[in-house]
Amino acid sequence: MSTEMKMVIDGAEVSFKEGETVLEVARRQGSFVPTLCYDERLDPYGSCRLCVVEVEGRRLPASSCTLKAEAGMDIRTGSDHIRKMQSTLVEMVLSENPGDECPRCRDIGTCEVHELAEEFEVSRDRFLGAISNASKDDSNPFLLRDYDRCISCYRCVRICDEVEADHAITMTGRGWNKGIATAFDGGLMDSDCTLCGQCIYTCPTGALADKKMVNQGSKPGEIEITRSVCPYCGTGCSINLHSLDGKMIGVTPVLDGPVNEGALCVKGQFGFDFVNSEDRLTRPLIRKNGELTPVSWNEAFDYTAQKLLSVRDDHGPKAFYAIASGRAPGEGSYMLQKFTRAVMNSNQVDNCSRG
Amino acid sequence: MKSSVEVKDPVTEKILDQWMEKPAPFLSVLHAIQDHFGYLPESGLRLVGQRFGIPVSELYGTVTFYHFFSLEPKALPDIRICENSACCLHDLDAICEEIVDKDLGIPHSGKVEKISCPGRCDVPVPILIGETFLHGAQSGAIEKATPATMPLPPEIGLEECLFKDIRNGVSSLEKAVEAGSWQSPKRAADDPEGFISELKSSGLTGRGGAGFPTGVKWEAVRSEVADQKWIVCNADESEVGCFKDRVLMAHTPHALLEGMTCAGLITGAEVGIVYLRWEYPEILESLQTAIDEATAAGYLGVDACGTGKPFQIVIRRGAGAYICGEETSLLNSLEGKHPFPREKPPFPTTHGLFQQPTVVNNVETFCAVPPIIDRGGDWFSQLGLGDQQGTRIFSVSGDIQRPGNYEVPVGTPLRQLLMEFAGGTFEGREIQGVTMAGVSGGLVGAEDLDVRLDPASLNDLGAMLGAGGIVVHDDTRCMIQAARESMHFLAEESCGKCFPCRIGTTRMTEILDELNSGKPVREGLLQEIEDLEEVLAETSACGLGLAAPYITRMLKKYWPQEIQDKIDGSGQALKEGSE
Ligand SMILES: Cc1cc2nc3c(=O)[nH]c(=O)nc-3n(C[C@H](O)[C@H](O)[C@H](O)COP(=O)(O)O)c2cc1C
Ligand code: SF4
Ligand code: SF4
Ligand code: SF4
Ligand code: FES
Ligand code: FES
Repeated sequence: MSTEMKMVIDGAEVSFKEGETVLEVARRQGSFVPTLCYDERLDPYGSCRLCVVEVEGRRLPASSCTLKAEAGMDIRTGSDHIRKMQSTLVEMVLSENPGDECPRCRDIGTCEVHELAEEFEVSRDRFLGAISNASKDDSNPFLLRDYDRCISCYRCVRICDEVEADHAITMTGRGWNKGIATAFDGGLMDSDCTLCGQCIYTCPTGALADKKMVNQGSKPGEIEITRSVCPYCGTGCSINLHSLDGKMIGVTPVLDGPVNEGALCVKGQFGFDFVNSEDRLTRPLIRKNGELTPVSWNEAFDYTAQKLLSVRDDHGPKAFYAIASGRAPGEGSYMLQKFTRAVMNSNQVDNCSRG
Repeated sequence: MKSSVEVKDPVTEKILDQWMEKPAPFLSVLHAIQDHFGYLPESGLRLVGQRFGIPVSELYGTVTFYHFFSLEPKALPDIRICENSACCLHDLDAICEEIVDKDLGIPHSGKVEKISCPGRCDVPVPILIGETFLHGAQSGAIEKATPATMPLPPEIGLEECLFKDIRNGVSSLEKAVEAGSWQSPKRAADDPEGFISELKSSGLTGRGGAGFPTGVKWEAVRSEVADQKWIVCNADESEVGCFKDRVLMAHTPHALLEGMTCAGLITGAEVGIVYLRWEYPEILESLQTAIDEATAAGYLGVDACGTGKPFQIVIRRGAGAYICGEETSLLNSLEGKHPFPREKPPFPTTHGLFQQPTVVNNVETFCAVPPIIDRGGDWFSQLGLGDQQGTRIFSVSGDIQRPGNYEVPVGTPLRQLLMEFAGGTFEGREIQGVTMAGVSGGLVGAEDLDVRLDPASLNDLGAMLGAGGIVVHDDTRCMIQAARESMHFLAEESCGKCFPCRIGTTRMTEILDELNSGKPVREGLLQEIEDLEEVLAETSACGLGLAAPYITRMLKKYWPQEIQDKIDGSGQALKEGSE
């Protein structure tokens, strides 16, 4: 049983549960606490130090994402002093990256770094010096790895380890000469990467992006986002469909998707080319005299029904075996088994996801 | 290559079989593989990953963290030369130029690589080829490096604790026992409470920099209930300008082993690990000899010192990373994790090595324990001057007549240490300033040379005593350059985990370079320094970043005119340029 305890945040008494961090409690009660290395799906890490808060009785500010809430704590989140240091930190982070337009912000949606820059009304003009390490020319088809824009929050590494358990990437080097690499620094295709794309959508900058989504020539605000459900399998992951001029250009995961909580697999994340494919079937066809010929739905249904019945009547129910598609919804799968049993008199029914 | 691919490497298999059952074998396994192949081959790392349950990507990343692990075969070793504060007072470029073509008696690739201070600041400039150290003085003479220089005899009337017997050949067990070594562990076993109260009354605090009371630390680990506990000796000594632990381990190793054994018997730990920095290969050998001797004589082993309790000591060798001197980073390094510091709390006393209760102490701290138990806590305590307790060792280097280690009462004036004990500056020169704590404790200017060497007095100046390294700069030196060298070291050694330190130490170095460049400096440069100081000092995740602002704050305190002159001078340059 978790007991309710109380602490003070920005002068207000708030309740919290054992195990909660100060960041969680502070955000729940509406305080603005900026973060860059934090992702609620990951273990607290404490590297960006943006989430610092003042703790009564402590000499130095503490990172609230790693600080466990304790009864009686008295926390201040937004003093002028804290805000000034946060603002300096954002400026320092901006100084690490090149000053050109961020493709992530332009083509996919504002990245966390630039969102914070706006919040603190700062831009990249102080602390200028060397910039982050070079981008990687990775031949994989999906993930752009532009580490010039990396701020070394290691969220990509951590999501790959903690959530995906793929351990495909790691942090290398140290200090300013840090980097992100696969084991022995090969391409993602040669690593344990499953191309799930999770790292892209935890990355708070433009360092990682969907190759197909950037540089489509869009302007901010032109991209339309439609919430939907991934059509690939029965799991039902929530996705956002991005479209430009009525044409689908990409998918992003939905963090509050009830089944996936932001996770997607390689198919749901990147496998949408078929939507706009030339080869895609858009109407029923029947082969007539060796030629695929477009027909009406009614003709197609009659033709199929008649063929199926002749299979049953000429060869018996055992000649029929139904495999439901994993992409079909539950209702569709139900109909298929009903049809197999009631119409075809067969018990031979299966689902492709069973393998 | 995907990790599902099967790899075969009988050499690595054998090394793993030899080591896996030993305490904290990770670093030793990697060193053994590297010793065999000359580098860490992919096949070997894959097997290590499998046995240790570490994903190979993570292992790869961890290996790249260290300076002295190599992922590529090399026909001949490079020449490595120290670039830090005490050594860059010499003409490094000239030395480098000279050594590339010279027959140094050891085959090398002819490539010169700068490294961080290898703890030989009293005999600059150390040159490392493979695992052999040479030193090249400014004159160009290159000699085989001598073993750790014996400390000079103390001034008349000064009573020593740690160095008392050091000049009497006590590195051998026989001589050490003659001088009274290996008596204290029995006291630890018979009367642990009494032992701890002696330690407490002695006022002994950690000599690794943080200054935590040693008796309290041991008591905390003693009171923990756990299946296994550990004693770890922090012999990473990687701060620029610090070389005191080296001399202790070289010349009085049994004091260290005895101190660790006491800690084991007090707390119930059965294994002690010395985390030895890679750059002390000669200590690796001599300390192992001391361990072997003590084990053969029964001071270590299943019945340590006849107490009926087991205690063994092993050495684990680091691989070149200053941050691994930070105790939680050290523990991660031993465990085979990425050596970033851990979030504190929890502290090692409750969640140490493999999350078990652990005493981590500095070499000097352990060495002080046997004499304290022998002569009494009050004896040690009264060695200090005024309110201060005990003695401590300072490593003095740079522009000074007699560089070396000095054991002096806590509270000794800095001036006395430098001008009397260490012989003062060279003929016709004066001290302009010194670095503190090694370098991370900032700078003290000539006007404050009367400051007393105790933590509080240095804090009052705005600096930090730390681990007691002092690099002297005379009046021919540029103190902005000195500050730049200190900051550059921290930037090179920052682990890179937290933003303020990773970015801040690099930006500070760049800014100090800019000041020194003679070119026009950016507008608002002083404000940038101040803002960086603020986030470093208040938001960094560990002591490295937290300390960094001492350097620039002390620079501004003692040498404001020099900074202004640079800014004005460069302003001039700007005007001239635009005309
Ligand atoms: C960046 C950094 C480097 C450190 N390096 C060392 C070191 O080389 N040796 C050491 O004994 N302590 C070092 N320390 C201090 C240790 O974290 C720890 O406080 C000490 O080993 C505890 O032992 P003590 O109480 O005997 O001093 C370092 C701390 C920091 C923050
Ligand atoms: S795409 Fe998925 S598996 Fe590949 S690196 Fe990113 S998180 Fe890891
Ligand atoms: S690539 Fe993105 S998520 Fe990964 S460390 Fe860099 S900024 Fe963070
Ligand atoms: S302060 Fe520096 S060394 Fe310490 S955790 Fe942060 S980056 Fe690493
Ligand atoms: S969010 Fe707390 S340190 Fe980054
Ligand atoms: S050996 Fe060069 S500074 Fe220490």
